[in-house]
Order: sequence, then C-alpha cells, then structure tokens
Amino acid sequence: MRRIYAIAVNTFRETIRDRVLGVIVLFALGMIIASLWLASISLNQQARMMKDFGLVAVTFFGLVVAVFVAASLVHKEVEKRTVFVLFSKPVGRTEFIWGKFLGLAATMLVVLAGMGLFLFLLTLVVAKQASGWLLVATALIYLQLLVVMAVTVFFSTVSSAILASVLGISVFVAGQLSHNVLSLSRLGNGVVLKAASWIVYVLIPNLSAVDIKPTVVGEASASWASIAAWGGYLVAYIVVVVLAASWVFRRKEF
Amino acid sequence: MAETTREHATRDVLVVDELRKTVAVGFRRRKVEILKGVTFTVREGDVFGLLGPNGAGKTTTLKTVIGLMRPSSGSIELNVGGLGELGYLPENPYFYDYLSGSEFLGLCGRLFGLRTRPLAGRVAELLRDVGLEDARDVQLRKYSKGMLQRVGIAQALINDPRLVLLDEPMTGLDPVGRVEVKAIIESLRVRGKTVLFNSHILADVAELCTRIAIMRAGVVIWSGPVGDALATGDGDLERFFMQVVTA
Amino acid sequence: MLKRSVSVLVALACVAGVVVYQAHAGTKPAPAAGDPNVFVPSAKFYTDFSPSFRTSIADAYWLQMIQYYGEHWKTDQRFDALPAMVDLVTTLSPRFKQAYFFSAFALIDANRPDLSYHYLLAGYKANPTDWHFPFYLGFFAWTYASNKDRQHVAIVAADFYSQAAKLPGALPSVARLAAALLAKGGEKQKAIETWAAIYGQGDKYSQQKAIAALDALLPQGKQERVTVVTALRDLMPASQYSRFVSAIFRGYQ
Repeated sequence: MRRIYAIAVNTFRETIRDRVLGVIVLFALGMIIASLWLASISLNQQARMMKDFGLVAVTFFGLVVAVFVAASLVHKEVEKRTVFVLFSKPVGRTEFIWGKFLGLAATMLVVLAGMGLFLFLLTLVVAKQASGWLLVATALIYLQLLVVMAVTVFFSTVSSAILASVLGISVFVAGQLSHNVLSLSRLGNGVVLKAASWIVYVLIPNLSAVDIKPTVVGEASASWASIAAWGGYLVAYIVVVVLAASWVFRRKEF
Repeated sequence: MAETTREHATRDVLVVDELRKTVAVGFRRRKVEILKGVTFTVREGDVFGLLGPNGAGKTTTLKTVIGLMRPSSGSIELNVGGLGELGYLPENPYFYDYLSGSEFLGLCGRLFGLRTRPLAGRVAELLRDVGLEDARDVQLRKYSKGMLQRVGIAQALINDPRLVLLDEPMTGLDPVGRVEVKAIIESLRVRGKTVLFNSHILADVAELCTRIAIMRAGVVIWSGPVGDALATGDGDLERFFMQVVTA
Repeated sequence: MLKRSVSVLVALACVAGVVVYQAHAGTKPAPAAGDPNVFVPSAKFYTDFSPSFRTSIADAYWLQMIQYYGEHWKTDQRFDALPAMVDLVTTLSPRFKQAYFFSAFALIDANRPDLSYHYLLAGYKANPTDWHFPFYLGFFAWTYASNKDRQHVAIVAADFYSQAAKLPGALPSVARLAAALLAKGGEKQKAIETWAAIYGQGDKYSQQKAIAALDALLPQGKQERVTVVTALRDLMPASQYSRFVSAIFRGYQ
C-alpha cells in the first residue's frame, strides 16, 4: 500500500504541475463564464442555463483532461523509460498501475472540484440561485470520468497514446448510448445477436443510468437510492477495468 | 594459487548461465534472437565491466537480470536479497519532468520502504555525494544531461544496495563529472559493494574494473580478470578488445 | 535595428488591418431574416440519444426558439418552425415551465391558438401543482376559444380558474375571476357559493369585491336573501359569517 501511495502522490505531483492541464482548466473556466452570455439571452432562465451549460462545460473539459492525461500516463512511462527506474525496484506491476491511476484520480478530483465549486459560486453570485445538487452532479461527472480514465489506461497498456485517447472518447459516447444497446439486445430474432448485444451492453459502461440535470435545474427530485446504486456500479466497473489493465501490464516487457 | 583460493572463497553474487532472449519485432512479429547463450559470473566485491560493440546485447542482458525482460531460456542466479538490495541506472536516463531532484529520490526511497525521517537524511547525503545539493528543489526538466546522470546514480544508491548495475554511467558527463562518478564507483568497491556496469570508455574500464566480460552478437566471447586482459594486450585494454572482437 | 523597426511596422500594419476590417464588417446592415422553415429534428431522435443531455439539448433549442421568434417577429412575422421547436423543447424537458408559457403566447402570433391550448394542457399534466397552468388555460379558453357559445366558454374558463385558485401560491384574484366567470356562464348558485368562500378566506379587498358581486347576484327581496345567505353559513368561518351578514344586509331594515 505504501508503494501504491508513493506512486500515486508523485503521479499527482507530475500531472497537477503540467502546464497543459492548467491551460485546459482555464479554458473550462472561460466556457463556464461564457454560459453567462447564453444565460443573458434566455428570457429570465439565467440560473437554469448557467447550471445546465456549466455542467456540460465541466463534463466536456473534464473528458478532455481525463482522456489525454490517462492515455499518456502509462505510454509516457514506457516511451521515456521511466519504467526502467521503477521496476528495478521492488514494485509490482499491479502496484504501479493502481498507483498511477489513483494519482490521476486525485488530480481529476482537484480539477473537477475546482470547476464544480466555481460554477456553484458563479451561479450563487450572478443568478442568486445555487443548488447543492450542482455539487452532487459534479461528483457523478467525476465518477463517470474515472470510468473513462480507467478504460483509457487499459487501452494505453496495449496501444499507442493517440489510439487510447480515441478509444476512451468512444467509450464515453458509447456509455451515453448504453440504453440503445440494451434495446438492440431485445430486438431481433437471432439468439446469437441478442446474446452478443447483451454482452456488449454489459461491457460498455452505463454512463446515463441516472439523469441528475433535471434535479439540478429544479425540474425533478432524484432518488438517493438510485444515485447510490449507480455510484456503486461505476466504482465496481472501475476496479474491474484497472485490474484488467494491471493484468495486461504484467505480461509486458520493456 | 592465492588468487584461486580467494576466488573460491568469494561468493558469486550474479551467475548468468546460457541466457537466451528472442524478441518478436515488426508488424509480422519476426523473431530475432538477441542473446544467444550469455554466460558470466560476478563475484562479491567485483567491479565488473560488461563490454562490447553496439548491438552486442549488453543492455538486454542487464534488463533481463533486473526483470524488465523475461529470458527465453537459460538461468539467472541473483544472490542478493531480491530487488531490495539491487540498484540500477538505465542508459540515457529520463525521469519525471515536474518532480524536483529531492522529490524524485524521495519517491525512489519510498518504493524501497524507507521511512520519512531516515529517507530525508539519505536523500540529502546522496545529493551531496553526487554534487546536486544546490539543485535539490529544481524540477528535473531543468536538469542538464550530466545532472540527470548524477541524479540517476543517486537513485541507484538510495537503498544502499549490495549489487549496483549501471548502464553507461559515464554518458553525457563532462570530465569533472566523469571523475566524480569514477570516485563514486571506487568508493562503492571500497565499501564492499559489487558493481556491474556497461561502458564504451575502455580507459575508465581499465582503471575501475577488477573483472570484465566482452560480448559480441549476443554471446560472451571473453571473460576474466582485467589484469589478464591488459597483459594480453600489452597493457592496452583497447588493443585487447579489438583483438577479441575482431577475431 | 532596421530589421526590428520593419518587423514592428509590419506587425502594427497587420493589427490595424484586422481592426479596420472588423469595424467595416460591423457597419454592414444585418442580414435579412432567415428562412422561417428551419429544420428541427423530432423529439424522438433526441429521446433515443441520451437521457443525460436531454435538458441541455432542450435548453439549446430553447435559446434557438427565442432567437427564432425574435428574429421573425421583427421581420416577416412567419413562425413556421415554431410548433416543432415548442414540441421538441417541451418533450425533452416536460417540466420546463417557462417554455410552455412563452410558447403559448408565441404560438398566438403564429396563428395557432389551438396549439397554445394543447401545450398548456400538456404542461399542466406534467406540472399539476403549478397554478399558472390552469390560470393560463382559463385565460386562453376565455380569450381564444372558437366556440361561439360564450356561456359555455365562460364555464370552461371558470373551471380552470377554480382549479388554479386551489393550488398553492395562486393569487387571490384567480378565485375572483372564477366566480365572475361562473356568473357570466349562468351558474348563479355556484358563483354565489364561490364569492362566499372568497369572503371567508380573502383579504379586505377580496371581501369588498365579494360583497359587491353578491349584492348583485343575491335576490333583492330580504326574505329570499336571508334564505340564500343562511345556506352560505358553512362556507366560511363563524367569526366571518356574522360580519358577512352585516355587510350583505347593509341598507336592509
């Protein structure tokens, strides 16, 4: 555990000090501020527009950070041969992958918490309306992005950084369409097609099971039970994918 | 005779026997045999030089000993307490851009399970030994090649290892740096450490090493005390090396 | 030195060129109104897309709808694509109340009061506790109904206003509108009862209005008035009833 922690802390330091990350976050904050302009032409729907488009900006830029940092996480270590230094020490491959992932998760937590809090305060100050649900929504976006990061790290152990990024983004999109795959698995006549569709449905992370935005904009009341269940599912999915990544990584030679 | 007695009494720290390594390269996964039966022994207290032309398989041998690669066949007997008593400096080292020298050494120390307080002292001592005290808080991306080499040696020694493997330790160093590294290697020998290093700089090998092995095309073609090599080469290791490699 | 001066001059000239071009482009007259027939995908397309972004898509089309309405209101007064936009926004975000309210009035300008009514009903179904929906439905029923039987229309409108008056947050005037329309629709007894209830629960102004309306609705003969007023006792608190009686029989011996 100590070694995982040491690798995680230093991964966090490495990524949080990267200037590219800072630029992306600045862009995100700029986009959130830009939602003010949209809000101004929304016919007194300022709070709703700021919350909704603000969360879209948080999701989009969070996705950019998640995919591009996760894709290069493992690949860079192999490319620059820093793995030589690490694996000449008593560090297991699994410890390495978990340490890198947890370090990146800590970085994402800081980034997303910053963006979420900024959006919350902006909505409070400008629209004089802020809902604690905004922070819950940010937390759920964080979990979704951790899933995307885990998948991207997995792909980065078997392919290049660019391909891993593309696949990571594809999995995010596919995760939004998870219910469509389920519908497909129920249609059709062939048992094989149905079974294959169902397998694909299980493999693709379900990133749209709970829609929290209507609750954020005051249109609905989300159920804590469904949020907790979905959160638990996402955490379990992350654990499985990271374990798979470490299993693949154990076979690698440098 | 006395030499032979001493040789038998000394422990073998590393025994490599008929080591073979085949890799698959390219799109069609064409099999290429890099190591074709490497055999040599490193004794405790040796400063052992692994020499050979480019592509001989020196780095692959070191990586297989460390465990970065798995041998296709043959055996590696490492008689130290696992990776915890090993130190390794890769060739042309590259480290983490945004960590400072002290943070990086701290990471390495923690991977060996060193606790915070003794680790802090050890990091300070090593940075002093390699002449990087003033750059301890500077990010590694701002280090020169020579500074990276020196912090690389420091990380290889963080756990006070019994066996130190150095891949081209003198690369990128100015004459002052080379003198400092040679002094570090010599001090390791005096302290009873075993050192195995690759190098192209034969003058340094002649000066530092007690035993050498010469590789060519994936096999060891000569190994023995450096004194024997010098005697055969009329006191010139380079002459001896060329004789052996071109034979 | 010369090279540097030339570089600075070139850079300044380019900056000037950029600013002048943009300033000139900004003086051009605004382009003519776009085609009123804008393509709007069906809501089903988006409901199949993703539940996570439905409100965001609804909000984006809401902004488009406002701009579309404003642009065409200023120019050609054609709102051909407005019904599709309203359908999309309200289907994707059925509890986006402002969308219904704005659309109801905007669709009047598109000569589609029937759709105004339709979407207000849909909004009321999705938001049954918001008094604004039955309130606007009452307004639209009374103002834009095509039925020539005004008494029937008055009853329909009154029914909506009555529903609105019972919902939390409704203005006191809503109940008064219900009562007035009941009277217009010929439901005299219901009107009387409604005014009596308003008196019992209302503020001073509502009570004044109730007395004035009841004075006109109640029988003028004292005995008949007493009979009707007695039956109204249960519609208001006892403390209010005695004051009500005093007020309603002022001027009677």
